[in-house]
Amino acid sequence: MSYMPGVCTFCGTGCGHYLKVSGTSVQGVFPSRVHPVSKGRLCVRGWNIHELLGTHERITRPYVRDSGEVTYRDAIATLVSALSSYKPEEIAFLASPRSSNEDNYALMKLARLVFKTNNISIQAESGHRNSLDVLYKGTGFAGMLGSLEDIRKAEVLIVAGMDITTQNPIIGSELHYAARSGSLLITIDSRMTKIAKLSKKFINIKPGTMRQVFDAIAYYMDTQQWGNTKSAHYEEYKKYLATVPFDAIEKETGVLQSEIAFVAERLAKAKSAAVFFTSGISGLSHDTVASIFNLFVLADKIGKEGCGVNPIAGINNLQGSFDMGCAPDLLTGFQSIDDAVVRKKFEKKWKDQLPASKGKTVEELLSNNSSPLKALVIVDHDDGIVRFSERLKSLPFVAYIGSFTNKVAVYAHVVLPVTTYIETDGTFTNAERRVQLSSQKCNPAFDVLPMWKLIDAIAEAMGKPFNYEHASDVMDEIASLTPAYEGISHKLLSKKHGVQWPCTKDNPGGTKYCVPHNVAFVLPQKPYAAVQVTQEYPYLLMVGKAQHYWHQNNIMHKTFIPLREYNATLLLYPDGYVAIAPEDAKKIGVRDRWPVKVVAQKAEMKAMVMISDDVAPGTAYVPYFIREGIASFLLAYSDIVSQGEEATIPVRIEKV
Amino acid sequence: MYLITKNDVKKIAKALEEKYTLYGPYLDADFGQCFFDKVTSDTVNLNAPIPANPPKHVVFPHLETIMQYKYDKNARKADIAMVFDDTPKALFGLRSCDLTGLQCIDRFFLGQEFVDEVYRHHRSRMFIVANTCVVPFKQCFCVCTDSGPAAQEGYDLNLTDLGDSYLLEVGSPKGKAFIESFTFAPATQEHLKQKQKIVEKSITMFDDIATESKAWVSRVMNRVTTGFIKEEIWEYIGNQCIECGACSYVCPTCTCFNINDANTMSGDTVRLRTWDSCSYEGYSRMAGGHNPRKPIEDRRNKRFFCKLSYSQSKKYLRPGCVGCGRCAWVCPGDIGLPNVVTYIRREIHE
Repeated sequence: MSYMPGVCTFCGTGCGHYLKVSGTSVQGVFPSRVHPVSKGRLCVRGWNIHELLGTHERITRPYVRDSGEVTYRDAIATLVSALSSYKPEEIAFLASPRSSNEDNYALMKLARLVFKTNNISIQAESGHRNSLDVLYKGTGFAGMLGSLEDIRKAEVLIVAGMDITTQNPIIGSELHYAARSGSLLITIDSRMTKIAKLSKKFINIKPGTMRQVFDAIAYYMDTQQWGNTKSAHYEEYKKYLATVPFDAIEKETGVLQSEIAFVAERLAKAKSAAVFFTSGISGLSHDTVASIFNLFVLADKIGKEGCGVNPIAGINNLQGSFDMGCAPDLLTGFQSIDDAVVRKKFEKKWKDQLPASKGKTVEELLSNNSSPLKALVIVDHDDGIVRFSERLKSLPFVAYIGSFTNKVAVYAHVVLPVTTYIETDGTFTNAERRVQLSSQKCNPAFDVLPMWKLIDAIAEAMGKPFNYEHASDVMDEIASLTPAYEGISHKLLSKKHGVQWPCTKDNPGGTKYCVPHNVAFVLPQKPYAAVQVTQEYPYLLMVGKAQHYWHQNNIMHKTFIPLREYNATLLLYPDGYVAIAPEDAKKIGVRDRWPVKVVAQKAEMKAMVMISDDVAPGTAYVPYFIREGIASFLLAYSDIVSQGEEATIPVRIEKV
Repeated sequence: MYLITKNDVKKIAKALEEKYTLYGPYLDADFGQCFFDKVTSDTVNLNAPIPANPPKHVVFPHLETIMQYKYDKNARKADIAMVFDDTPKALFGLRSCDLTGLQCIDRFFLGQEFVDEVYRHHRSRMFIVANTCVVPFKQCFCVCTDSGPAAQEGYDLNLTDLGDSYLLEVGSPKGKAFIESFTFAPATQEHLKQKQKIVEKSITMFDDIATESKAWVSRVMNRVTTGFIKEEIWEYIGNQCIECGACSYVCPTCTCFNINDANTMSGDTVRLRTWDSCSYEGYSRMAGGHNPRKPIEDRRNKRFFCKLSYSQSKKYLRPGCVGCGRCAWVCPGDIGLPNVVTYIRREIHE
């Protein structure tokens, strides 16, 4: 009897699985057939998660530079004495979107209460935060409005610019099942992704014009008077829509007016509809998310069964990290640090004052060389942070907390190991706000502490112990301070496949789809900024994710099968690749796997050509993964890349 | 052939437990999912539905150390050791599809030019108690693949629930020797007839109960073997594959594996064998980077050539599919084997 139920911790889908545990080792995995989201399915990552959990690349002892391996006591003492010597604005905490809610909450509390700084963030800041900001402004809910469980109940499903069968394969699978049983699945994208192939309607747009397309659909819906005009700010929104260049839409976006009209009509007349878009380290801009959201407000598809505006988090606890206040301006449950009443509530519970002015994200602090940052505590982070290796090297103090060896750890002055997620209790909040308990399945393989306990020990060394006996104590504290989590406790979650917040004491079953009291249109902040090609730079380069290896190389490298699949592409294209259409390859005069130079105004890189029917002529696609050349190229365009999936850069492709 | 009581069944499990590590179906305490794994004579549940996982992992684990070596730099000597697991194992309450699957794996690992020693050790001291399916389950189609509902061969003991008692059949000298220590009442030809009736009734129940999957395999085997299947059909199937590998992982007859070496913290190196799947791109990639099966549809049809072509069936001495329906359960596309058979048949009829 060794199969133990749990939650997969790769992506934000939060699939249910069983781990085959023997002693302290995990020897296999099997999907849970009754899990409401995954229903017996797992993806290539989920099916091989035991390879990661069984890796020999663990951090087994605390480590202090110059002293070597030490006890926790000494390592914590070093950390505490270092951090105490800096001012709060010189300290920052980089939380991990992979940590459990309990771990992230404890870290957030440590930063704010003990070290008096609001400089705490996760790295995947922009994408999901944009989505949450729009949804919060428009509905008061900072999370997916619909539910993954409800996908098959939607009449119309729209996937907006997301390679969903790669990033969150099981959500892609649900969409496919819904389409096969009669839902109208529409994909709006610049690439012929797998979900585009599985869709009944694929609308191929020019890269970077997602916002225009959604606005045009809304414009048409509004002019036909199919829309809901009762929501707040409608008049302003109508004024904004009047500026949509509908007559020039084909030239601007490559989409026929008839296609726009088709989507508008089907969306307006359907009983239920949901839209899915990416919301991870690369996501959509605030204004594009607003366009998508506004269209659904106009179509009156908010707060009903089978409906939803659904940002899909790429990392398992990305949603939970924001819920736990791992952001410079947020406390738990999207409560603002600016709000004196909220702050008072926390101060009363925590029995000390909190810093009132909002902090800075770690990304901001690292990328600005004149920022006051001197000490950084990094939790279990991906290679993405290595982009800032020069700055990390120059910092007077870096601490690393994590379970596995990692390229970032080499910059650390103190390394503190923690347990893996199966060696302690913890909850994770998936993309659809489902808070799931992952129970401890075995004793720690090494003499290491769970993170929430380690954080407590650090707080104690600073003279402010949190006094947590068990991870459930942390959740109880979260529940007492967070309205959306009010009814959640480990006891409630045990032997359950999670509960979707808001979960209050009166509503212990949670909330499948959010029904807002008031819905308001969210007005865009900036004018359109469609990037146009020039004669000198005739291709629009898109930046995105490719099969199996988003940004978490560090995790993939500790597996065998997913690593091989990662290498399947990497071995073929060792310098990374740029995908172009066959006719463009002919024009440039290159064949598959030939080297080319991709030249943009500010930077250039070498890459190999991948000839693919998936990209439209005139566009090129480069996957976002860390390879020297591509990383430095993208760094020169970090402002554009931070727009995520919409990022487009005009380039020239030269044969070398 | 004996007629035994339900309590006797437990006695057999208890006796096996003393000599063997007992494996069998049990229900997960939290959510009721049925697994085939280590059990005790108290937790084994013969009435549980078909286990979510086939017993393949007992003899061919998901992840397994098959070799260990340590290199002594000073002495310039390498200590190499094969790692074998030959603990005696008893598979209790194996359903006929899974037993047939085990026989297919036997033919792959043991029945060819090279014998897989790691597998042979797993398998060498095994005792098998099969269990006749008196009712089918929703996704079953073993009647289409000639692998059920009752086991024909390959067991040491076979149990059939006759209602108030069990018919116990002996299938091997090992089974006979084991049963000698008990004093069970002998069964008659009448009881055997009763079993046959139950099996026939079970087969007729497929129409009403086993409604999720149907796969008229024989006609499609002809098509797959002769290659008269349109490209578009494979593309249609390939487009629905998200390359998760689940179909291979849950298949009672899939045997593909990958080998990896990993350095441990103690300084040893272990050689690991992990499950592999033909749906992965890296699976068929050659060392030089060339991949004869690069497009997904080319990889996907490979699976069905393996399960449903005559040439492959010669290796297994039967179709490579045992009709358990698990691939249809776990597929994120809609391309479990029964559906693929349907797509191909649909094309034949058009």
